[in-house]
Amino acid sequence: MGVNLVIFIFFYSCERARIHFSCLKMGSFLLRKSCLRSSVLIQNPRTSFLLFSHLPEFHSNLDSTVVARGAYNWFLNVSGFSSKPQVMKTPVGFNIRCFSSQAIMEHKTCDGLTIENIVSYQWPILDESEGDWKSHAAAISQSIQLIKKRLQWKQLVVRLQMLSLELSKPDLWDDPVHAGKISREHGSLMGKMKEVNGFERELLEHIDMLKLAREENDAELESETMKALLSMRRSAKEKELKALLAGEQDSCSCFIEVQGGAGGTESMDWASMIMNMYKMWAQGRGYGVTVVDEVRGEIAGIKRATIKVEGENAFGYAKAEVGVHRLVRISPFDSGKRRHTSFAAVAVTPILSDASSRCQINESDLSIERFRSGGPGGQHANTTDSAVRIVHIPTGLTATCQNQRSQHQNKALAMSVLQSRLDQLEIARQAQINAQHTHSLTEISWGNQIRTYVLHPYRMVKDLRTNYEVPDPNSVLDGDLDGFILSYLSALMDKDEILYEFGFYDRKR
Amino acid sequence: MAFPYNSFSRTIRSIMSPRNLSQPSSIHLNQPQTPLFLKSPIHQTPLSSLTQFQTWAKTLIQSKGSNFPTIDNGPDTNHLFRELKWFLEDAGFNRDDDEDIVRLRVGLDELYLLWKQRIVERRPFQYVVGCEHWRDLVLSVEEGVLIPRPETEVIVDIVEELIKKEEEEEDENEVMMKEGLWVDLGTGSGALAIAIARALGKGGRVIATDLSPVAASVAGYNVGRYGLQDKIEIRIGSWFKPLEDVKREVVGLVSNPPYIPSDQILGLQAEVGKHEPRLALDGGENGMVDLLHLCEGAASVMKSGGFFAFETNGEMQSKFLLDFTMNKSKGCFRDVKIVSDHSGIQRFVTGFFV
Ligand SMILES: C[S@@+](CC[C@H](N)C(=O)[O-])C[C@H]1O[C@@H](n2cnc3c(N)ncnc32)[C@H](O)[C@@H]1O
Repeated sequence: MGVNLVIFIFFYSCERARIHFSCLKMGSFLLRKSCLRSSVLIQNPRTSFLLFSHLPEFHSNLDSTVVARGAYNWFLNVSGFSSKPQVMKTPVGFNIRCFSSQAIMEHKTCDGLTIENIVSYQWPILDESEGDWKSHAAAISQSIQLIKKRLQWKQLVVRLQMLSLELSKPDLWDDPVHAGKISREHGSLMGKMKEVNGFERELLEHIDMLKLAREENDAELESETMKALLSMRRSAKEKELKALLAGEQDSCSCFIEVQGGAGGTESMDWASMIMNMYKMWAQGRGYGVTVVDEVRGEIAGIKRATIKVEGENAFGYAKAEVGVHRLVRISPFDSGKRRHTSFAAVAVTPILSDASSRCQINESDLSIERFRSGGPGGQHANTTDSAVRIVHIPTGLTATCQNQRSQHQNKALAMSVLQSRLDQLEIARQAQINAQHTHSLTEISWGNQIRTYVLHPYRMVKDLRTNYEVPDPNSVLDGDLDGFILSYLSALMDKDEILYEFGFYDRKR
Repeated sequence: MAFPYNSFSRTIRSIMSPRNLSQPSSIHLNQPQTPLFLKSPIHQTPLSSLTQFQTWAKTLIQSKGSNFPTIDNGPDTNHLFRELKWFLEDAGFNRDDDEDIVRLRVGLDELYLLWKQRIVERRPFQYVVGCEHWRDLVLSVEEGVLIPRPETEVIVDIVEELIKKEEEEEDENEVMMKEGLWVDLGTGSGALAIAIARALGKGGRVIATDLSPVAASVAGYNVGRYGLQDKIEIRIGSWFKPLEDVKREVVGLVSNPPYIPSDQILGLQAEVGKHEPRLALDGGENGMVDLLHLCEGAASVMKSGGFFAFETNGEMQSKFLLDFTMNKSKGCFRDVKIVSDHSGIQRFVTGFFV
């Protein structure tokens, strides 16, 4: 038993460290250390968990298998063991069966350090460049805690347990749509949990490794480990961000809709400036942008417009923009050069990618209208205008599209807008909360101001929700919005209580 | 994309196959024009010249285009601005290109010429760019061929619905509609024939006819572009004449024949009246000459239970046809009804043959 465990550890560490040139060396350390302390290891639940949890990957990942085989032969050579280890025969399902213990199990270093107590020691967090290991470890541990908070860790664990219980029911697949939903959600939550757990484990292992290196006076290993800690510290920041977008719809593409407030040409001009800002923001992020609907003002600007923004997390980010945007400037349309305040409202709708969760639209509930200038139409008229408006009679929701070159395409795009609006309504209904992000344009009250852009008498853009502020309106209007978006999302996610107010973060528990 | 010459000539050759004895013996086949967006982008142009062009084109719209709606119900300036955007898209101008040189599909001179034709001569936008976006298709069009109308798209919706319903019901006739022979009479650019052929199953076929050789050649080009030369056969001739060999075989008949009353041709919007072929528009006195001819003659080619859909000028013509099919030729038709277009105009008459 003791021997097998040692082999596990060894394979495991080789796999983890397969990109390190010092892999074998580390293995030998661990091996020697482990042999010395095998009795300790066997009793250490973290270690034994760590050994088993990676087996499925171990089997499936050709790369690591090759490394592990080589290392295994090497191990046999040096150690003189010749008996075949039973490693390979470990049931693959083991990982799944013990997953709940995976979540609850507290990860520890050999001498009992956990993420929690690293944070509680409040080691000073120095700059990355001058950081010692404690500084790195403290920064990473803080990130892990933040990530867990953002992911609503405890609820995630409970939900995951419920889902796996459901998955184990024999009659699950009698309803394939439901089953598909369950297994997709399970897969996605499981993925998140594994990622965080893996990250946590990696940190603690590196700490173990570092101590080991110091005891053995191995400068090379020590510097390798420090490097690894530093790179973890950097990727922790990315993971924090990613955890902001963990909502069910966050990864979706979306529609962004802008409408000018009262005030004629001035506010229509403002609406088109805002729309431009989103187009540039979206393009800057590498998203696909399509104009779906655009009603121009008589003199300048737009009365309203809708764009489709396609790409990973488009909705997750854009949802931070929902609300009323206020502009203060000297209006170029006022010959008296007076200061004007204008408003534009922004709505954002996710485009659900999972067809099974979309609303079924009944053709007979739709009224499809074409805008026309009057006259007999048909052969009498030549027009490149094939705008289409679809009304969903039961809800009164409408969608308009006129920027495509055929009526058929306008209709298809208008349908997809309508579909998203209906889906959104359904999401709100299911959440049974009038969630902020499910407001459609017409519902957004003009009092719900989220941001002010001042061009005169001074220059500044300020978010009224977070007080995030930028002195250069031009850069913001050119699409540099990420600062606003991220600060809002973090503020939103980092306040635990608030989460429940938003339908979008409700995981239907 | 290069001109698919082989497939095109194959399609047209079928017109002259020995089956079609009714064909005039020598057909002058004109070479269809390549739409602007398919020409090769070989004309290097400085971005600044293009910006200049754009400014000029916009000014032209504003100075000349603002009264089109009042003169003859023509396009308003918003539409013209949008056309300009599409024109530049088709010509190969990519706004996001931050290089100083852009590659156009026509020379700068021609760009000016074409836009002048659009605004000053009221040449239809679709002839200027040589194509019309219709449903999910992009169809080549040129002078001599009617530009397919958005209203007509609905006929395809009706046919698709019919095929879908038939599949769901799976009665003993099974998939007669999906796998049978359809005809599109007066096919013009081939719009209806192509869209319907794409909705049919493996065995489904379409014969598309037209009296105009220009229309036949453009339709052939479009059929080739969509790779449907094995499914669609184009025949030249007047209404039922090219269909002698398929009597009682046709399961579906669609047609958008000329239906504008002769005395209204003069007052048409300039894009239509001055540029589109009269053969495609003029329906004689009351505009009903061709529609009535089609209604009367259809029974001879139709299979029992076959479906038909005609486009009309609106309420008056539709009601007249409904009355005609239900009373004058009693017993020939069943389930005849009027279907409205998206503007609420009673545009189509559909039904079945007994
Ligand atoms: C209104 S256009 C319809 C074209 C096309 N089906 C569409 O919907 O876009 C009428 C077509 O009928 C053709 N046509 C006119 N008289 C005809 C006749 N006697 N026999 C066959 N086709 C005829 C015209 O050449 C024209 O292409």
